[in-house]
Amino acid sequence: MTSSDNPIPPKPFNPAPAFIAVWFAVLWASCLGLDISFTDLLTGMDDMGEYLSRYGTPDFSDLSRYLELLAQTVAIAVCGTFLAITFSILLAPTAARNLTIGPLAYRAAREILNFMRAMPDLLLALVFVAALGLGPLPGVIALGIHTAGFLGKFFAECLERVDPGVIEAMEASGAGRTQTLMYAGWPSILREAAGYSLYIMDRNIRMATVLGLVGAGGIGLALHDTLRLFEYNEAAALIIVIFVTLLAFDYISSWIRKKIS
Amino acid sequence: MPSWPTRSGLPPAGVITTLMITATILLWAAPRAEMDPLRLFRSLPSLLDFAGKILVMPEWEYLPRLGQKMAETVMITILATSIALAASIPLGILAARNTSPHPVVFHATRSLLSAVRALPELVWALVFVSAVGLGPLPGVMALALVTMGFMPKFFAESFEVVDPHPIEGVVAHGANWLQVRLYGYLPLAMPDCIGTTIYILDHNLRSAAILGIVGAGGIGYDMVMAVRLFDYDRLLLIALSIYFIVTLLDRASDRLRAKVT
Amino acid sequence: MAKINMCGVRKTFGNGHTALKEMDTEFQTGTFTVILGPSGAGKSTLLRLVNGLEPLTSGEITVDGIPVRGKNLKKIRGDVGMIFQQFNLIGRLNVMTNVLVGRLWNRPWLTSVLYLFGREDRAIAEKVLMRVGLAEKAWERADRLSGGQQQRVGIARALAQEPRVILADEPVASLDPVTGDNIMQILREICDRDKITMIVNLHQVDLAKRYADRVIGLNAGEIVFDGTPKLLDSSILSHIYRRNSVVKETTPDALLAYA
Repeated sequence: MTSSDNPIPPKPFNPAPAFIAVWFAVLWASCLGLDISFTDLLTGMDDMGEYLSRYGTPDFSDLSRYLELLAQTVAIAVCGTFLAITFSILLAPTAARNLTIGPLAYRAAREILNFMRAMPDLLLALVFVAALGLGPLPGVIALGIHTAGFLGKFFAECLERVDPGVIEAMEASGAGRTQTLMYAGWPSILREAAGYSLYIMDRNIRMATVLGLVGAGGIGLALHDTLRLFEYNEAAALIIVIFVTLLAFDYISSWIRKKIS
Repeated sequence: MPSWPTRSGLPPAGVITTLMITATILLWAAPRAEMDPLRLFRSLPSLLDFAGKILVMPEWEYLPRLGQKMAETVMITILATSIALAASIPLGILAARNTSPHPVVFHATRSLLSAVRALPELVWALVFVSAVGLGPLPGVMALALVTMGFMPKFFAESFEVVDPHPIEGVVAHGANWLQVRLYGYLPLAMPDCIGTTIYILDHNLRSAAILGIVGAGGIGYDMVMAVRLFDYDRLLLIALSIYFIVTLLDRASDRLRAKVT
Repeated sequence: MAKINMCGVRKTFGNGHTALKEMDTEFQTGTFTVILGPSGAGKSTLLRLVNGLEPLTSGEITVDGIPVRGKNLKKIRGDVGMIFQQFNLIGRLNVMTNVLVGRLWNRPWLTSVLYLFGREDRAIAEKVLMRVGLAEKAWERADRLSGGQQQRVGIARALAQEPRVILADEPVASLDPVTGDNIMQILREICDRDKITMIVNLHQVDLAKRYADRVIGLNAGEIVFDGTPKLLDSSILSHIYRRNSVVKETTPDALLAYA
C-alpha cells in the first residue's frame, strides 16, 4: 500500500468566483451605462403582445415586387462573393508565410486583409453609396471588400498548413512560385476553400438583405420603408419572404458543404 | 499546341461543369446587381474624388462623444453575448445528439435554432426599434436573440465530439442525468465552448458597430449621420476607431483561443 | 459486503454478436476474483452488465438481492464502483473534483449544478486521496498526472462512493509492470481491509496468480475455468486462451513468459 501520511495541501486560490463576480459587475455597469432596466422590460411585455399582433395578417399583394427585390438581393451577394474570391485568390498567397514573396509583402498583405475585415460591410456600403450614388453596386463592392478580408485570411491559413514536403518537392523540381501555387498550393486546399466560400456566400446573402437600409440595393430598403410607414402587414410579408429565402439557402449551403467534406 | 494532362487532352469534366455553372450564375447576377465593368471603371474618378474628401483633418472636438459611443457599442456587445451565453448552455445540451433527452427534443431544438438565426440582427433590430423605440435596448435584444440561434448550435457540436470514455466514468459512479452533463460533457467541451464564445464576442462587436444604422444604439448612428451630413472629418475618426477596437479584440481573441485549446 | 448473483445471463449486441451465453455464477462478499480470457471473450461486457452500463438481453443479475435494471440503476451504481483501463477521468477538472464525482450519486441536483459539495463528502474524498497516496496532488489537473497516478485517482473515485463492490476493467493494461503491480497491491489491500467484493479483468496471468482468491476463465462468452489460482497450469491456460478453431496466436508458454 502506498498510503502516505501527507495531508491534503491547502486549496490554491480559485480565480473562477472572482472572475464571475467581475463579469457580473461589468454586466451591471453596462445595464446602467445603457440605461436598460429589466423591470421596465418585464412590464413592457404586455405591450409587446399587442405590438406583435399588428403583424397578424401578412399582406402579399406586392409579392412580385418583393421577389424582384429578392432576386436583386441574391445577385448582390453572388457578385460580392465573386469579387471577394477574386481579391482573396490574388492576396492570400502573399499573406501565407510559406509562399509569400518577402517578409515586407507578407506583413503588407496581412494588414490589408486585416483592414478589410475590420471595416463593417455596412459602413463600407454607406461610404460607397455616398461616393457612387444609390443602387446595388456600392453594396456589391462593400460585401466584396469586407468578405475578401475573411476569405483571404482563411485561404492564407490553409495554404500555411500545406505539407511543407509537397512544396519542397515542387521547388526541387525547379518550379517557380506561381507553378508551386498552382500545383501544390491551390489543389491541396480546394475542398476547404470551396466550403468556406460557400459559407461566406451564405453570410453575404444574409447581409445583402439589410444593405438596403443604407441605400445599397436589395430588399432591406423595402422593409425599412414599410416599418417607417407603420405598414405592419406588408412588413410581415417581407419578413416571411426573407426568412424563407435565408432558411432555404442555409439548408442548401450546409447540404453542399457536407457533400464536399 | 499544348494540351491538358487528361486522357482527351481537354480539361476534366468537373472543372468544365463548375466553370459553366459559375459563369451562368454570374451572367444572371451581374446585370441585376448593376455590375458593369465599364461602370466600375467610370466610377473610379468619383471614388478617388470621394477619398480626397474623406481624408481631411479629423474633428478632434468629436473625440469625447466618440469614446462614449464606442463604450456603448462595447457594452451592447458584452450584454448581448452574456445573455445569449446563459441561454446557450441549456439549449446546447438539448440540441446535441448525445446529450439531448430525446431525439424529438433534439430535432425540435435544432429547427428552432436555425429559425432564430435565419434573419440578420439588423432586421430584428428594425422590428424591435419600432416596438420599444430608439436606443440600445432594441440593439441588445436583437443581438442576443440572433446569437441565441448560433451559439447553442456551436456548443452542441462541441458536445457531440466529446470522448465518450470519461463520460462512462461519470455514469458508472451513479451520477444522474444532469450531473453527467455538468461533470462530464461540460468540462470536456469547455475549451471548445470558450473558443466559440470568444469568436462570437468578436463577431458581435462588428454587428454592434452597425446596429445604430437603424437607431438601435452604438456608434452606427453617428456613422450614418456623419455621411448624411457630410461630416467627413468625423467619419474618418469613426472608421479608425472601429478599425482599432476590432483589430484589438481580433488579436486578443486569437491569442486567448490559442491558449485555451 | 455484497454478494453478486448472475443467473442465466445472456448478452447479444445490436449487430447480432453474442458476447455472453447463459452465464450462471456468483461472487461472494469480500472475495477477489480475477477474470482471464482472450480479447473479445466478453470480460468487459460482463463487468459492464454488473454496473448496468449495458442492458441485459436475458437473465438476471442481482447485487445483494437487488436486480440490476431500470429504477434500481442509480442505487446499484452508488454501491458498485468502477475502474477503467483508460482511467476515464475528466482531464480538465482537478483531482479533488474527479474524486468527488464518486459522491455525486448521493448529492442533490441543485448543489451539484454549482459544483458545491458537503463537508462529509470533502472529508471522504480527502481520506481516500490520502489512502491512495495522492494527497499532495489534490489540486492539480487530472490530465497533468502520470498514468499510474491517474489510475490511483480512478481508484480513489471508486472508493469515494463507499462502494460494496468494485469492478476493474483491465486496470493495469495501460501501465508499466511496476506501476501495474502497485495498482494491484492497492486493490488487494482495499479488498482485504474493507471487505469489498472485487472483480478484476486482467491479461497478466502472473498478477492473477499473485493477487486473486478465485480465477474465472472466459472464452467466447462462456466460463471455461473456475477455481483457485493455484490450479492454473499451462494446459488450463491453453484451454482458457484457445482460439476457436482458429490458428493459435500465442502458445501458453509464450503467454507465461509474457506474464
